[in-house]
Amino acid sequence: MTREENFTHIGKPLLRKEDRRLLTGHGRFLDDVVLPGALHVCFVRAPHAHARIAAIDTSAAVDMSGVVGVFTGRDLAEWTTKLRLAPPIEGLQPVEMTTLPVDRVRFYGDPVACVVAEDRYAAEDAAEVVSVEYVALDCVTDTDAALADGAPLVDETLPSNLVSQQSFSSGNPAARRADAHAVVEARFNLHRHTHVPLETRGCAADWDAGRAHLTMHIGTQTPHPLRSQLASRLRLAENQVTVISPDVGGGFGQKIALYREELTVAALSRHLERPVHWREDRLENLTAASHARECHCRTRTAVDPEGRILGLELELMEDFGAYCFYPANYMARVVAMILTGPYRISDYAFEVKVALTNKCGNGPMRAPMAVTSWIMDGTIEAIARQLGLDPLDVRRINALTQDDLPYTMATGEVLEDITPLETLEAAASKIDVAAFRKRQAEARKQGRFLGLGFCSVVESTTYGSAFYKAAGIPGSGHEAAWVRIEPSGAVNASVGLMGTGQGYETPLAQAVAEGLGVPPDLVNVQMGHTDIAPYGMGSRGGRGATAGGGTLYLCARKAQERVLTIAACMLNLNEPTNLRLHDGQVERMLDGRWQCTGVALADVAKRAYLEPTSLPEGISPGLDVSLTYDPPPMTYSNATHACEVEVEIATGRVSIDRYVVTEDCGTVLNPVVVRGQQQGAVAMGLSGALFEQVIYDESGQNLTATLADYLVATACELPDFEIFPMNTPNRRTPAGIKGMSEGGVMGSIGSVALAVSDALAPFGVVVEQLPISPQSLRTALRGKRPETGEKERME
Amino acid sequence: MKETDYKVTLSLIVNGETRNVRVLPQRLLSDVLREDLGLTGTHVGCEHGVCGACTVLVDGAPARSCLTFAVQMEGHEITTVESVARDGELSPLQQALHEEHGLQCGFCTPGIVMTFEAYLKENPTPSTTEIRDVLSGNLCRCTGYQNIVAAILKAAATLREKGVE
Amino acid sequence: MKPAPFSYHRPGSLSEALGLLSDLGADAKPLAGGQSLGPMLNMRLARPAHIVDLNDLLELDYVRRTGDGLEIGGMTRHHRLASAPEVRRTLPLLAEAASTIGHYAIRQRGTLGGSIVHADPAAQLPLVAVVLEAEAVIRSRAGERVAVVADFLQSIMTVDLADGELVTALRFPVPPTGTGWGFELFSRRRGDFAIASAAALIELAPSGAIAALRIAIGGAGAVPVRLDEIEHSAVGEFPDGMWCATVARCIAEAANPEEDPQIPVPFRRELLQTLAERALTAAHSRAAVA
Repeated sequence: MTREENFTHIGKPLLRKEDRRLLTGHGRFLDDVVLPGALHVCFVRAPHAHARIAAIDTSAAVDMSGVVGVFTGRDLAEWTTKLRLAPPIEGLQPVEMTTLPVDRVRFYGDPVACVVAEDRYAAEDAAEVVSVEYVALDCVTDTDAALADGAPLVDETLPSNLVSQQSFSSGNPAARRADAHAVVEARFNLHRHTHVPLETRGCAADWDAGRAHLTMHIGTQTPHPLRSQLASRLRLAENQVTVISPDVGGGFGQKIALYREELTVAALSRHLERPVHWREDRLENLTAASHARECHCRTRTAVDPEGRILGLELELMEDFGAYCFYPANYMARVVAMILTGPYRISDYAFEVKVALTNKCGNGPMRAPMAVTSWIMDGTIEAIARQLGLDPLDVRRINALTQDDLPYTMATGEVLEDITPLETLEAAASKIDVAAFRKRQAEARKQGRFLGLGFCSVVESTTYGSAFYKAAGIPGSGHEAAWVRIEPSGAVNASVGLMGTGQGYETPLAQAVAEGLGVPPDLVNVQMGHTDIAPYGMGSRGGRGATAGGGTLYLCARKAQERVLTIAACMLNLNEPTNLRLHDGQVERMLDGRWQCTGVALADVAKRAYLEPTSLPEGISPGLDVSLTYDPPPMTYSNATHACEVEVEIATGRVSIDRYVVTEDCGTVLNPVVVRGQQQGAVAMGLSGALFEQVIYDESGQNLTATLADYLVATACELPDFEIFPMNTPNRRTPAGIKGMSEGGVMGSIGSVALAVSDALAPFGVVVEQLPISPQSLRTALRGKRPETGEKERME
Repeated sequence: MKETDYKVTLSLIVNGETRNVRVLPQRLLSDVLREDLGLTGTHVGCEHGVCGACTVLVDGAPARSCLTFAVQMEGHEITTVESVARDGELSPLQQALHEEHGLQCGFCTPGIVMTFEAYLKENPTPSTTEIRDVLSGNLCRCTGYQNIVAAILKAAATLREKGVE
Repeated sequence: MKPAPFSYHRPGSLSEALGLLSDLGADAKPLAGGQSLGPMLNMRLARPAHIVDLNDLLELDYVRRTGDGLEIGGMTRHHRLASAPEVRRTLPLLAEAASTIGHYAIRQRGTLGGSIVHADPAAQLPLVAVVLEAEAVIRSRAGERVAVVADFLQSIMTVDLADGELVTALRFPVPPTGTGWGFELFSRRRGDFAIASAAALIELAPSGAIAALRIAIGGAGAVPVRLDEIEHSAVGEFPDGMWCATVARCIAEAANPEEDPQIPVPFRRELLQTLAERALTAAHSRAAVA
């Protein structure tokens, strides 16, 4: 792929097309979709973490006014197939689940019955009187309990709760450890999160009995894969199902899988031959949609006296919850794969285990590999602490430089066109570390404790098909697009992505505009409708720009070629060389400059559609171009985050004084949208690191079922972010796009944790467990007094 | 004992228009606005008063429509996000949110617009701290709030200029 | 999350409201601002057969000077408590506490009477009502009675209110001119219910010694705790930094927070100490020598 430096539309800070409708209340979200005669459902959910379903008595509910029916797992088992996940991955147990539990519930909130009624009020009234007789069973609510001998099995078809285990070794880390100057151990425990899109899940299923066709309105990141799942689980052909995603109020990974509730609603619409609507309430969303991130990690690092990493070993244990909507190795695998990221580490080994527990099932949440950068830079900090070195120097001595690139990581991943040392130095310079250290020393004398944390990120963004193949994961990383110039010259385009608030409509229009040579406001990008969009893999990770934007860009270039071929004929030229489409006008290079030909795109479109007999030989009528594109096995962006905090020792409160990001995400389609993504990602990471936590008690009750208990940071808890873009194009992708949007989570979790540890260094307190709550800090600080002087880093 | 027996007929003033509905007393204002009156700009995010997405104005003051029963609203003036842009022109606040990229998925946006349409009337010269304090009643999961704060500052300045003219 | 069915009543006057509450008895729940009752209804944690809406009782929305006190109607909204010049001037502690309740939109609806009757142990208004020695005016069809708020609050979300009774107003004695005040709370996020809180009032003698101290803490038990012994022993003391710190330590030691798996007792005790010290320091700094 060639590098193109001078873009006309790519990289311009255009304001978003979707804003007007969203600002005026005219957005169209799932709950705004009104299907005449639609029924509404309410799920009856288990109040136990683990129980046998002895009996379900629906008679009282069925008799209530407005109730159409009450359905259970047995009904759904007739109408739908099981989900079976059994990719050929060594160490991964195959799992199966029914659509609704039939005889056993596995977590607090597991759906056991579904009430269908005229409206949600009636459905909730009836759900209260569905009587379920449970026999409570022992449960496991953490990984230690799950893997103990004789632990109750979360999934009785498995030999143990260890659902996945993989290990890997490259080089000889054990030998490095034996020879090392020192071995440094460090621990990183990340707690359970959940996504909290402002719009909860929901769907409206509309079965057309006459056509035998299901139309599923559902806010989803992945319309086509969801359609494939729906069709297969309902025993329908893929051409019997249409998925339509309206505006989506946030996804963050929670709106990828086909969940059991959604499949139930679809099956009920077909069974009842009525439209059926479900809107999840917030209690359900917090307890039973999808959780994420909970894992326990440990590193052992062999180092030389200067802090050079000779060998690195990672142990990671993920608490996956009760059900697998994704292969259980899926998230943890990426952490282990990209751990070494910005650093030169050739001897590397990992052991990754995933355990099932009686909690809500896990899924990917914006940066499924969020813990990675905390682990790596936290390991660097541990090295500096143990050896009495400056942690920035330890980063520098290990950082990949331009001379190292392309660099093949120990896991075989290839890094190129990244700038880890450059973003680190830029962040250090923006912060002015020397000045900070002076301020920090002064403050300490006054009993105030400031801290500074750096965290460098190498973010895996776009997963190509070759990655999926190598990982043994079913699926693909390619993407598909079409660009259609209509007879009037208006441009429609489509791609298999589906936005959930990122603002795709504008940057993707810029990609099309760039490739085609028209103004972006002429381009309408249609997404989310499986009968309109080509079969694509949807929006996951940071693939939108590279896979989606890249495919559209290439497709638009192909469309421009077609336009110019016809234009050449119209201009009586033999070849379209020296022609270009610019701003919707065909221009010709004459005398060393582009000159107007008087032929506009609309003229070409008219010719293509309405005067096909005048087309050049071999050119078929119309201007409708499609294209698929498979990105490289993986693309990477990189960044360094720097966070300044103050910890109030008396209360344990952490306040963020300053936040700096230097990020290199290659060619940027639209810097406004990219900056918004960076800010949002950092905010989500900080909110998670400092406030959010899904809490289960020992009996498996979820104690954080409301937004008063699951704490998402408000405007008062988050700082302004200073973001400095550094744009090194990727040489292998269209237009040099790299993708982004998850790295902010990775960097912020790490930088804030390390900043707090830096602040508390005089107390000898190191943050090993998130979230960093006031109570957890007070527990760690209780009875400790700060050491004075410069000794604190030496220990 | 059919539920319909309990339905009450209400006459509501919404965005300056009188609208009649027949609803159960327990029906939330948010549901009546959205489902009975088709004003789907008011969004429902939590139904326990925390997220702020459903905020509307009741007699000019912001209120959670999920903590309000429609039956309570007879005789009160309800204002929703649909009425904020006049003759197709965005309000200074809406325009500033657009220009400062103060929204992403847009689900929380109507609640923020309504809260600050009211607040900027009460306090035309808010500080950043005051804005963040008021904004803390509206959760946004996408933006990190920074651009929303910038937009509100900008809107306040625009409104002050307009007031001077 | 939709409320269970109920019958709705919208009295147009206090006497009509009291009549309804009397007739409906335990089946009725008065609805004031609805900012606490609303979520409970939506989650079906509360399911009264009858809702008696008090929002038309404009006669209960007032701030009135009465001799040496301020009487504030039960339907007065938090926003008005926080912003009314009369409250800010005479009861700045109350205004400050009200300004920290929930969020802007919540404060437009939430009411003084509702908050006192809801009696959340973490709430601001019960705490300041206790330290300000407020009285609740309680009306029923049978007549009127007055209860000291400190006695009225019995336990977590439990108050001394019979069926048919309504808190129509709170009477706050206005502290003597020159009284300094301090109000401190600690919550994880802005607007959350406090994990701990403290409110203090200090009157100084001409010598600069304490003439009277009032201090109460929240989050230390089922109801706000007024610290009588500490108050008595403070008289005559000079409230310098050392004294504030010592007293705060005594307060924390005396406090008996309830066990909560998420909020360890030692943590809450430490917070109480810090907040009490800050409240005392603030009260002293604002106090003027008589």
